[in-house]
Amino acid sequence: MRSPVFFVVALVVGAVVFAASRYVENEYFFFAGYVVLQFIVLATAWNILGGYCGYVNFGSAAFFALGAYATVTIHKLYPMPIPVLMLVGGVVSGIVGFATGYLTLRLRGAFFAIATLALAVVLQTLIINWDFVGGARGAYVIRPNSFPLLGSYIQYLFGMMLLLTVISVAGARAIERSRLGYGFATIRDDELAAEASGVPTLRLKLIATTISGALMGMAGAPFPYYIGYVEPGTAFGLAYAVNSIAMPMIGGTTSWIGPVIGAILLGTVQQVATVTISSAVNLLIVGILLVDFVIIAPNGIVGLVRDRRIGSTTVEPTVFVLLYVLNLLPTIFLAKQGQAAQSIGLVFWAILFFVTYARGRMIGRVWLMVFPWIGAGLSLVPVTSETPVVSTVVLWSQGVAWLAIDPPTAVLIVSLVIQVIGMIYGAALERRTPAMTTP
Amino acid sequence: MTSPLLDVEDLSKRFGGFVAVDGVSLSVKPGERLGLIGPNGSGKSTLVNCICGTLHHESGSVRFEGRALDGLPAHQRTRLGIARSFQLPRPFTSMSVMENVRIPLLYTVNARPGPKQSARAIEERCAELIQLVGLAGKARKWPRDLTQVEMRKLELARAMAAEPKLLIADEAMAGLSHSEIDDILALLMRLNERGITIILIEHIMRAVMSFSQRVVVLVSAKKIADAPPERIIQDPEVVRAYLGQ
Ligand SMILES: Nc1ncnc2c1ncn2[C@@H]1O[C@H](COP(=O)(O)OP(=O)(O)OP(=O)(O)O)[C@@H](O)[C@H]1O
Ligand SMILES: [Mg+2]
Repeated sequence: MRSPVFFVVALVVGAVVFAASRYVENEYFFFAGYVVLQFIVLATAWNILGGYCGYVNFGSAAFFALGAYATVTIHKLYPMPIPVLMLVGGVVSGIVGFATGYLTLRLRGAFFAIATLALAVVLQTLIINWDFVGGARGAYVIRPNSFPLLGSYIQYLFGMMLLLTVISVAGARAIERSRLGYGFATIRDDELAAEASGVPTLRLKLIATTISGALMGMAGAPFPYYIGYVEPGTAFGLAYAVNSIAMPMIGGTTSWIGPVIGAILLGTVQQVATVTISSAVNLLIVGILLVDFVIIAPNGIVGLVRDRRIGSTTVEPTVFVLLYVLNLLPTIFLAKQGQAAQSIGLVFWAILFFVTYARGRMIGRVWLMVFPWIGAGLSLVPVTSETPVVSTVVLWSQGVAWLAIDPPTAVLIVSLVIQVIGMIYGAALERRTPAMTTP
Repeated sequence: MTSPLLDVEDLSKRFGGFVAVDGVSLSVKPGERLGLIGPNGSGKSTLVNCICGTLHHESGSVRFEGRALDGLPAHQRTRLGIARSFQLPRPFTSMSVMENVRIPLLYTVNARPGPKQSARAIEERCAELIQLVGLAGKARKWPRDLTQVEMRKLELARAMAAEPKLLIADEAMAGLSHSEIDDILALLMRLNERGITIILIEHIMRAVMSFSQRVVVLVSAKKIADAPPERIIQDPEVVRAYLGQ
């Protein structure tokens, strides 16, 4: 599909989503949806530099926060409409992106990544010491209650973020298929060969840092109105840096659809987790999923689908054990959170299933995959708060002991035993607890 | 006497304390076929890297068509008309063979002043180049599916795609069979007939000697000879330092 056509189609899809969302009664939908959309923009923006050019940016939060603080500044001086704020935020972050690029792009690999991290720290320090925007205390930005024609203001914010999402995704897709996109890819593949082929690598990298930074700033601009109260800790939050890397990596970094898939998946899981558990667990979940994908599917979900290699992933026995244990931990942990968290637990059971299936095929024991099935089944029964601790301790000690014999099978059997012990122990506790609390 | 196309003057390049190219001067006339030979590690590739801007040299100068190249980034030198193949192939791994060859067309040929080639014309030119180096049928393959020899051919196709005035082939023929070497030599000869100047770096003496009009010999970072092939094979110093091995 040609890029202008795609843009129109994306716009129509966006309009339909927005129109449909008007029938949603629950305001919470818009709050959650806004965050997911914001992450689609952030992930897409990150991917333009990180995925297309291969330069890993750890400072996404800084560009996002700059957009947010540009809004805070303007709000204090002379409040302006959201689209204007987005443009201003985009310009500010774009300029900083350009400057960062200029100062750091002669650095390669890890050095560039560290430099972006340093940038985030420097900017955060500056903001903390800038009293006009509230310094460390933060600043209140009062959101109007309603917006003409649309009704609630959050619906308006949601709509604006949807529009920005359409623009950035269509833009990323257009870049990918253009001369510019080819140039970016040569930088990712081999900069010396790129230069030898006439690609002005430094200029292209500056274009990438500028576009990427600008989009992140635009995503951050409406944030103060969304959240109502901005402080450096939230605007520069670790979540932005981690998510904007993890989402494209999980989705797949070589094409525009990867960050979209990753952001919808991780963004939704995290929204569910925020409601059912706590926002602190989010990053744990993201971290584990990231490790999973880096090992099982280095090319992300897009790569898995494209290569049609599901189930043929080769995993070292020890890596397999680590993956298994790593993914088992959240299932135990989430079980503690009660029924609501089970939906997230199922994500990990699915990964466990995938891992065991792949491993089982490798060593000719496909039956191994019954373990995650049983585990998932058992986990649907509620347990009490002490279960996870006991399970974890048993799991680790047994797992280490069995590692020497036949690692994968041992861990699987142990984990099943743990699940059963956990169930029995949990049931026993449950029967005892009421008696103890009754005077 | 025509003014030289490429003029290297007293060029030196060191890696830390190690001198890889030591005061080499070299001049190439338009339309010439120059052979560059020397033992392993004598500094041939390093010299090429300095000419092409892949590496920056400490002293000396490189002029191309009378213009000083010093400080010019590699991509601008490519656009001015210097193309090279890498000795160790450096394909763009996430692109098909076809797309690899398309890059110089997009970024060098179409970046030069004058009318731009259409997408269609570029497509046809890519197919033609791939055919020329003998990779027909591999256009949709990925570099990881190519053999080392095929990757060398891809290097050559990509360098040719930039439509250079000067083409530097750094061991493009290593590992090729007799008949393949003849094919590539014939190809280079055809390019040369169209006015493209060629520097050929090669260990295969048969190829260098039959192809070159003049041969430059580097030994331990220094130029020790610069003469037509028939004189080179008789030069006692060259025989002692290199050919005699
Ligand atoms: N990037 C580098 N850093 C340090 N030393 C280098 C570097 N590149 C080349 N050298 C050294 O410089 C010397 C010349 O290397 P060069 O590759 O130019 O030789 P060459 O004549 O092309 O050899 P060959 O025939 O094997 O290709 C070698 O001793 C090599 O080890
Ligand atoms: Mg060499």
